[in-house]
Amino acid sequence: MNRTRLVIGMLLVAAICSGCAVFGRGKNFVPFDESALKQVTPGKTGASEVTQLFGPPNRIVKLSNGNAYVYERSVGKGTGLWLLVLTFVNYDTQYDRIVFFINNDGGVTHFGSSFNSEKASYAMPF
Amino acid sequence: MRCLSESWIRLAIVLFLAQAVSGCLSLQIEKTQEGVDILPPLAEFMPMRTTLDEILAYYGAPAEVVDMHGDFALHYRRALSRGASLSIGFPLKYTFLPNPSIKTNGDLLRYDTTVFIFAADGVLKDMKYSKGTERSLWEDYWN
Repeated sequence: MNRTRLVIGMLLVAAICSGCAVFGRGKNFVPFDESALKQVTPGKTGASEVTQLFGPPNRIVKLSNGNAYVYERSVGKGTGLWLLVLTFVNYDTQYDRIVFFINNDGGVTHFGSSFNSEKASYAMPF
Repeated sequence: MRCLSESWIRLAIVLFLAQAVSGCLSLQIEKTQEGVDILPPLAEFMPMRTTLDEILAYYGAPAEVVDMHGDFALHYRRALSRGASLSIGFPLKYTFLPNPSIKTNGDLLRYDTTVFIFAADGVLKDMKYSKGTERSLWEDYWN
C-alpha cells in the first residue's frame, strides 16, 4: 500500500509541476533625470538648456507658436502562467514623460511631467 | 484508510486526464495595459477659462501633442486590451496525417481618453473625456 501511495504521490508531483511561469521585463530607456526639472523655470529657461539637461528629445512636435519637446521612456512587465490546459498572460507598460513647450523665441513657456514607469507591475489578467 | 487511497487514485486519474488532454484543449486569457488610469476632468476646467498650465499641473505630460494648424491638442490615453483564445485539437499526426483542430480567439482593445484642445495662446477651447474600459466587454465586442 505504501509503495502504491509513493508512486501515486510522485506521479501527482510530476503532473502538478508540468505547469510553468514566466516573468519578463522590458525597458525603453532614455536617460533623463527627474530631479533636473527643478532647474527649469518657464519664462527663463531656454530650449538649449533643456537639451543640455535632458539630452535630445524623443520627438519634436511643430506647433503654430513654437515647438513641443517630448521625452519619453517606458517599462513593460510581462507575466505568464501555464497550468495544464489554462494559460494566463498579462502585459503592463507604463511611461515616464516630460513635455516642454518652447515658443518661437526659444524659451520654455510651459512644461508637464508624469513619472509612472515604476507603476508597471507583474500581475494576472483578472 | 481505503477511502483515502481511493480518493488519491481518483485525484491522480483526474490530473492525468487533464494532462493527457493538455495538448488537445487549451484556453488562454490575456490582458495588455498601456498607461495609467485617466481621471475625468475637474468640474472647474472650463473652455475659455482654463489654461495649459492648469491642465499640465493636474494631468502631467500627455501621451501626444498634436498640431491642429493654429490650435493644438493634448491627448491623454490608457489602452486596455483583453483577449482569450480557445483551441481544441486531436493530435493524431503520429497515427494519421490529418490533424483536425479548431481554434478560436478574440480580443478587444479599448481606450480611456481625455483630449484637451487649446488655442495658440494656451487657453482651453474644448475638451472630451471617454472611459471606454467601463463599457460592457461583451456588448463592445459583439456590436
